Amino acid sequence: MSQPVTLTVNGKANEVSCGATTTLLTVLRDTLALTGSKRGCNQGVCGACTVLVDGAPMRACLTLAVNTEGQSITTIEGLPEGGDLKPIQQAIIDSDAVQCGFCTSGMILTAHEFLQRNSNPSIDDIRTALSGNICRCSGYRKIVDAVALAASRGGA
Amino acid sequence: MLTFMTKQDFHKPTTVEDAVTLLKEAGEDARPISGGATLVALMNARLVQPSRLVSLSAIEELTQCTHQPDGSVRIGAMRRHRQTAFESDLKAAHQVVSGAASQIANPPVRNMGTIGGSISFADPAADYPPSLVAANAEIEIAGPEGRRCIPAEDFFLGWYETALEPGEIVTAVILPPVPASSIGQYEKLCRIAGDFALASIAMTIDFDASNTVSTLRLAVGGCGGGPVRVEAAEDALIGTKLETDAIAAAAELLVAELDPVDDVRGSAEYRLKVVPRLLQRAFNNLINIREPAQ
Repeated sequence: MSQPVTLTVNGKANEVSCGATTTLLTVLRDTLALTGSKRGCNQGVCGACTVLVDGAPMRACLTLAVNTEGQSITTIEGLPEGGDLKPIQQAIIDSDAVQCGFCTSGMILTAHEFLQRNSNPSIDDIRTALSGNICRCSGYRKIVDAVALAASRGGA
Repeated sequence: MLTFMTKQDFHKPTTVEDAVTLLKEAGEDARPISGGATLVALMNARLVQPSRLVSLSAIEELTQCTHQPDGSVRIGAMRRHRQTAFESDLKAAHQVVSGAASQIANPPVRNMGTIGGSISFADPAADYPPSLVAANAEIEIAGPEGRRCIPAEDFFLGWYETALEPGEIVTAVILPPVPASSIGQYEKLCRIAGDFALASIAMTIDFDASNTVSTLRLAVGGCGGGPVRVEAAEDALIGTKLETDAIAAAAELLVAELDPVDDVRGSAEYRLKVVPRLLQRAFNNLINIREPAQ
């Protein structure tokens, strides 16, 4: 049974029709063409689909679209404000912390929320915060460096 | 009249009673959904195909954590792991539960997963089951016949099986009052950050004025179909000052009752070797809690 749902994504209300079991990730990618959120494991393990729901990082693949009505969803496409990259995005670029890029959007959204709560994290804090995001290029070191760089610049 | 049964429907009731009615109407294949961290993963893997989903997220009472006047704490079933990990109402021995919550998976999953959902799935390697047994928690359940409470020890029946009857949902976890001097400790061993436990030990403990163990409850996770509590091992430690040989004797009694399996996280043999060390580590860390370094 499909039902109409209003999803607020990146500040914009979208009327979509989805089934009871349709995940937020499917709607983002297949209906709204926001393909920055990646489908990796579809089991909540890899972190590539991480989006912010009311500001908190969550797995889009484990979130039912119908259950997010009334909540505010931010994807990687909606993170820059007025075209300006967030400090963590700039730091990822400056640290050359992207290899294949598949994990990058999930890493950035997780790190962005983490840096908003912790302006002066230790390397261990960063590693723990990113423990739910897997990089199969195993480029972790530069990603951790990038988060530390963003923090040292005083941004999130 | 020919009716095309549509595959699934979705409901978001605002009361527990409505949720129970909606589940009962649709029969066995209906599923309540709380955080989604488990159920949606199972649906994505096509292991479960519910005929009806009843979201519990709009039921106000399930989202509350309340400190009762008698000192007990009622954790609503929809409380997320992250909320429970940082719950300021959880003090003394109740911290065995917040300690377990803080070690579940990773931050994004802790934003989603709920205590009710986690214990209803009853993964034997999950963090809440041993911690709730150690905390002597009661599980509050609602069903077509009304509400009932059962001790956590009787709730986990083994290997993803609980005392929930068809149509019933968990509504809360109730932690009994504890002395301010008591301590709760959750010690977990896992292969990588965020994994389920290879083995875990949950305990609540209190000491008398002479530093002798006066009360102790101990439960092991990840080493069988459900949390394992061995009263003989607790008795071997009550009345001691946690001397190394007392801990070793208790570990022996504990290990004798465990029945772990070989799986991807480790062999049964390895688990049996690790549990005594984990127990010793839990007590070592306990000393750090009681006598923080100056």
